[in-house]
Amino acid sequence: MIRAKRGVHRLKATMLSDRDLAVTDAFGLRNQAIHSGPIGEDAAEALPVPATLLLDKNGTVLWMDVAENYQRRQGPEVVLAALRAHLD
Amino acid sequence: MDEQKAVMKNAASSKTLGTALAFAALALLIATVMFWFNLANKVSIPANRTLFIFAFLLAPVLGVASFVMKARWFGSIAAVAAIIGGVFLTATIAISRQQVADNPITVGDTVPYFTAVDDQGDQFVSDVLYGTPTVIKFFRAHW
Repeated sequence: MIRAKRGVHRLKATMLSDRDLAVTDAFGLRNQAIHSGPIGEDAAEALPVPATLLLDKNGTVLWMDVAENYQRRQGPEVVLAALRAHLD
Repeated sequence: MDEQKAVMKNAASSKTLGTALAFAALALLIATVMFWFNLANKVSIPANRTLFIFAFLLAPVLGVASFVMKARWFGSIAAVAAIIGGVFLTATIAISRQQVADNPITVGDTVPYFTAVDDQGDQFVSDVLYGTPTVIKFFRAHW
């Protein structure tokens, strides 16, 4: 489905699937709040917390933003500002 | 006789007012939801959502008031929609807080090794992240 929509959204980024939240758990970003479903139950019920990470070329986290509320997250301008601040 | 007529007339106008109130409640709810999604599309839902909660709760209050005033049957439909919708939307705000695990990745950490399948069905290995700065985004569904 993502592949089908790629042209529509003009996506250039690599999209990775993390259905079982293995990567999310490796980063410790699984949402533990109630509406995400109890931990360890059906993986499809669980969700990551929306988060954005900026890594340097050694894979070290330079900056990150974790949404404390799923109804709110940082817009692209915040990420762009972080890019300029850390990479210029 | 005239008095009885006056009472009936009063009852009728109360019904009309109640019905109008029910539709006002539903209109308030719909307008607020449209404004909400407009802001959501622009990723600019405000940190302070008190006004939204107020509007979402005002709709059920108006809905109940319309029942008290014995709104006509079509008004009741609007009132029930306003009550259910308003309570439901307030509940979604109440449960929207999120909590990460006890030890999430933080600034200064190195990303763990991971593999995943990309949208072409190919294997992705995190080793390719080395050598160039990268932005990683975790999200769910389409937003």
